[in-house]
Amino acid sequence: MEKQKDEKSGNEKLRQMSCEFNSLSRCDGSVMYSQGATIVIAAVIGPVETKTQNLCIDGSYLECNYRPKAGLPQVKERIREAAIRDVLELALLSESYPRSKMSVQVQELEDRGSMDACALNASCLAMLIGGLPMKYSFAAVHCIINEKGEIVLDPDLSEMQHQRASFTFAFDSVEGNLLLIQTKGSFKIAEFNDIECLCRAASAQIFEFYRSHLANYHGRASKETATTPMEET
Amino acid sequence: MTSSNFVMPGDRVSSIEDLAKTKRVILGPGLRRLDDKVVASKAGPLRHKEPNTFWVDNYQRRYVPARGDLVLGIVRAKAGDVYRVDIGSADVATISYLAFEAATKKNRPDLNPGDMIYARVLNANADIEPELVCVNSNGKRGKLGVLQDGFFFKCSLNLGRMLLRENCPALGALNEELPYEIAVGVNGRIWVKAHTPRDTLGLVNAILSLENAGYAEIEKVCGNLTEVMQT
Repeated sequence: MEKQKDEKSGNEKLRQMSCEFNSLSRCDGSVMYSQGATIVIAAVIGPVETKTQNLCIDGSYLECNYRPKAGLPQVKERIREAAIRDVLELALLSESYPRSKMSVQVQELEDRGSMDACALNASCLAMLIGGLPMKYSFAAVHCIINEKGEIVLDPDLSEMQHQRASFTFAFDSVEGNLLLIQTKGSFKIAEFNDIECLCRAASAQIFEFYRSHLANYHGRASKETATTPMEET
Repeated sequence: MTSSNFVMPGDRVSSIEDLAKTKRVILGPGLRRLDDKVVASKAGPLRHKEPNTFWVDNYQRRYVPARGDLVLGIVRAKAGDVYRVDIGSADVATISYLAFEAATKKNRPDLNPGDMIYARVLNANADIEPELVCVNSNGKRGKLGVLQDGFFFKCSLNLGRMLLRENCPALGALNEELPYEIAVGVNGRIWVKAHTPRDTLGLVNAILSLENAGYAEIEKVCGNLTEVMQT
């Protein structure tokens, strides 16, 4: 993987990802996840008892909270929260715990670009580590077109200041279907298609990251799983 | 038990599908059937127990009740002819007044909110509240019932399950150091009692130090338990 990165130009690779599992003690699963300098903590609680008003007899109720670094959540944060919930609702196998509530909390620690993608990836990892049943895992990738018309994958804050258009895609891990598209700015359809392909390729790297870190955490040498992938292609 | 591959949600497990063609297989937690495919729904190492049982052994902290499990619960309230007991699952469990040894309608057990009981899960279903009992099928209490004194703490579900395995070396190793009583619930709750508070705290530290040891390393860690207890 390292070799591939070197071959690509600097604009078309993801920033360094890292994560730390279960750093919080009181929730059912938590992860501190960073992409470059952007850092979030995501935590899940569930399945737990729900209020009667949210009770659903054939599935679980999913709650999502996104907290900014300082102050109270505003409209921007609410939109992000809704996006996370929409994607999680698609991925969660909610019928396995009827009449219960799953709660996902995302706390922003440092926003240095690509926050939407980072928050989505962190919440996916938190769900995986918390042992909530899912149909598939998902990965989100952020990409921009800058003023010169160059494509920048997973930009940081300084690169984002010169953007003409911004895209966030989320893909599932099984069939690679699109779960979320967020776009802003002006772009051509051809550019959109190029960027979708690029993000799809980058999502494979993120899935590989999930797999190797979770395998490590569960006390298994990641080498072993890398040589025997069980994924259906 | 054989070690096997790591699976992620959505991964198709074709080794089970092959086995299912010739005989019945049992899919445990983390696996589900999707038409004629077997698909994982949790991330973790895939485990197999002869002859035909499969499950995903993921590190989880939330307890999901299953019939026959031994659990530690805290009495929360009295409600009619049942007690409500918190066992750490999504729903509060119930236990009937009559599910104790020698209990009759006249002679009710004396339980109050805050009491700790060691009980067995009688039925567990996703759609209804779990129900507990403190007697076996002959009406005897055995090791179940109210736990007096002692010290209670929580741990991961894996640690509880590991201590309850038949050939777990940890409890034996601790027993060589000092006499103690212990009740381990598969809901990730442990109750211990020793002669002095110092001994009890030593025990708690020793047990929690096993938290991150896998099935393989546990014997090695058990060798160091004496040191952990001194600190």
